[in-house]
Amino acid sequence: MGQRVAITGVGVVDERTPDVATWLADESEARRLSRICQLTVAAGRRALADAGLDAHGGLAVMVGTEFGDMVSTISFVDGYLGRGPGGLSALLFPHTVMNTMAATTAIAVSAKGLSLTLSALTVAGELAIARAASAIRAGRVGACLAGGADEPAPLVMSALREAGAAPELRAAGAGFVVLETFDGARERGARILGEIAGAAWRAVPARPHRIGSTASSRAIAAALTEAGASAAEVGRVYTSANGDGPREEWERALVDAALAPHRLTHRSLSVPTGRHSGLAAHSVATAASEGGDKLALVHAVARGGNQVAILVRGPDGSDS
Amino acid sequence: MKPVAITGLGVVSPFGAGVKAFWEGLSSGVCAIRPITLIDTEGFRCRIAAEVPGPIAGSARRSRADRLALAAAREALDDAGVDRGDREDAAVIVGAVGGGMLEAEAWHWRRMRGSTEPVPRPLASSFPSAHADVIGSTLGLTGPRETVVTACSSGAASLAMAADLVGDGVVPVALAGGVDALTRICFMGFNALRLLDAAPCRPFDRDRRGMSIGEGAAFVVLEDPARARARGARVYAELVGYGMTGDAFHVTSPHPEGEGMARAMRIALQGAGVAAASVGYANAHGTATAQNDRIEARAMRDVFGEGGLLVSSTKSMIGHTMAAAGTLEAVATVLAVSSELVPPTAQLETPDPEIPFDCVPRVAREATVEFAISNSFGFGGQNVTLLFKRAA
Repeated sequence: MGQRVAITGVGVVDERTPDVATWLADESEARRLSRICQLTVAAGRRALADAGLDAHGGLAVMVGTEFGDMVSTISFVDGYLGRGPGGLSALLFPHTVMNTMAATTAIAVSAKGLSLTLSALTVAGELAIARAASAIRAGRVGACLAGGADEPAPLVMSALREAGAAPELRAAGAGFVVLETFDGARERGARILGEIAGAAWRAVPARPHRIGSTASSRAIAAALTEAGASAAEVGRVYTSANGDGPREEWERALVDAALAPHRLTHRSLSVPTGRHSGLAAHSVATAASEGGDKLALVHAVARGGNQVAILVRGPDGSDS
Repeated sequence: MKPVAITGLGVVSPFGAGVKAFWEGLSSGVCAIRPITLIDTEGFRCRIAAEVPGPIAGSARRSRADRLALAAAREALDDAGVDRGDREDAAVIVGAVGGGMLEAEAWHWRRMRGSTEPVPRPLASSFPSAHADVIGSTLGLTGPRETVVTACSSGAASLAMAADLVGDGVVPVALAGGVDALTRICFMGFNALRLLDAAPCRPFDRDRRGMSIGEGAAFVVLEDPARARARGARVYAELVGYGMTGDAFHVTSPHPEGEGMARAMRIALQGAGVAAASVGYANAHGTATAQNDRIEARAMRDVFGEGGLLVSSTKSMIGHTMAAAGTLEAVATVLAVSSELVPPTAQLETPDPEIPFDCVPRVAREATVEFAISNSFGFGGQNVTLLFKRAA
């Protein structure tokens, strides 16, 4: 059974969020950080403030991302293409590694525990939250900022479109939930937004960049088993729909088959604003806040078959 | 943590394809760092790296990194005797940084110089997550699938994450490892940071001048020890502990006192209930930069005491292979423990007096080691220590 996993805070920001700068320490920090790192740091601080959790050394950080900081990566490369070796920026180079958002966030909030960046198409944010929940349940981590961040670079998006990638609604943004042990959260008197009752990730057979032909979902089944729940106890579904029609149809088939005979309304928070990996935190927090006596399923599946299922219980169900 | 058995190894290294070539190269102390052929180095002070030699097996429609990863993953699964039936529930966890960037860079270079050629197919697989999808799809692994990016410790982190999945009972078997092909971004970036030596790197040498980069892939099969015994699998070693910590200090520089590194080593020991004095060998991160070697040595001294164990850096032979490094070095550590031979630090002529360890200069050393660690550290202060135990 392991530890229960409480959700105690949420912070989500995107390009339309007016007060991102107020979550940065000062102008110097703003100058040092790329835009995506600014968004990630702001979301992390906002989530910790929402949780009433002071930054501390044992805090873990898990960030899911599809693209990393490709805007800085392209700037780094174009420095060379424009001016040769003399045009290379040593300051931009670390941003070419996808863990730059996790690293700058860990530095910003003094998190010295486990820090992981998970790269995945479509499901990255959900995967980071599921991994974090698993680490807390197993007792390896006490508290974690878990979520994701993305900033679609125009060059990358146009190249992917040219390469035949599906049209998807994308946005720049970052988001985290604060997860901690239920007992730890209660002990410090934290407000508990909800609980992650079960989380699992598996691959559905599919070729890279393709959708699969099966509707059998082992991730949802494993998450239900971990939660000790049946499909009938799921009352709401939040999906990863973002404009890729064939993938959305596949996701619907996977979810409906797993929850059969119950057919629930699917909701995606990626539409119409555009999807980024931080929206997973938004989905989990929304699923918790809408409460009710049923579980909510936060689900995502990527072309290529990566699938994540997170079962969220609202605060009413969590206090028992 | 619950110990997990290492039952399969697969490597594509600058010594060529296969674990056998890798171990023969390391144990002979041969340096595979040579002039770069894959990318243009005009105008750069450093023009060498450890490239994987010869043609890489696999379809040219795949990225070079995907082909390196697939070859190493196949060898590991075959070595472990993991058949198709076992693969359905198996996890695949890949540590990666560059993805298929080598091909993406080439396309971007040509576009910026006026080419109108269409986007090549591998470009869609230029992100690090592509490797796990290719390996999972091609080899029929449909358990949990993850790609971890912790910079130069990614390959080591993948093993720790896989050990958790096996130890927690989520999966019976996991394939984990790291891969990186040489990329222009990596080469140019470390040049920009002035961290590359123009000659092959000399870890722990008083006159070291910086690192050499490299490329490769390595995978290991991890499984529950009881399951491995029950099916009669060969167990090379057990992964009995790990520590993963963050410095929360700087995006490129490690904490000057090695606090996070030492904490990772201590956590690995504590998690396994192993005394520091029981550890006989450390495969160091050992990049050969002036700062990193000194800080790592300081952290090891704090944990193990001066001269408390043999230390070597296999980067002296295969360069720093980025996301692959943590797994290639884990494989070297496993083989050192299982074959009772510690690989040397090549090019180590004048030991740095500030490195208070026997760093096994130039020639491999016979040694029976019960426990050994492999250290991997990355940008952002991402520290990973893996602790291995000799198989009973």
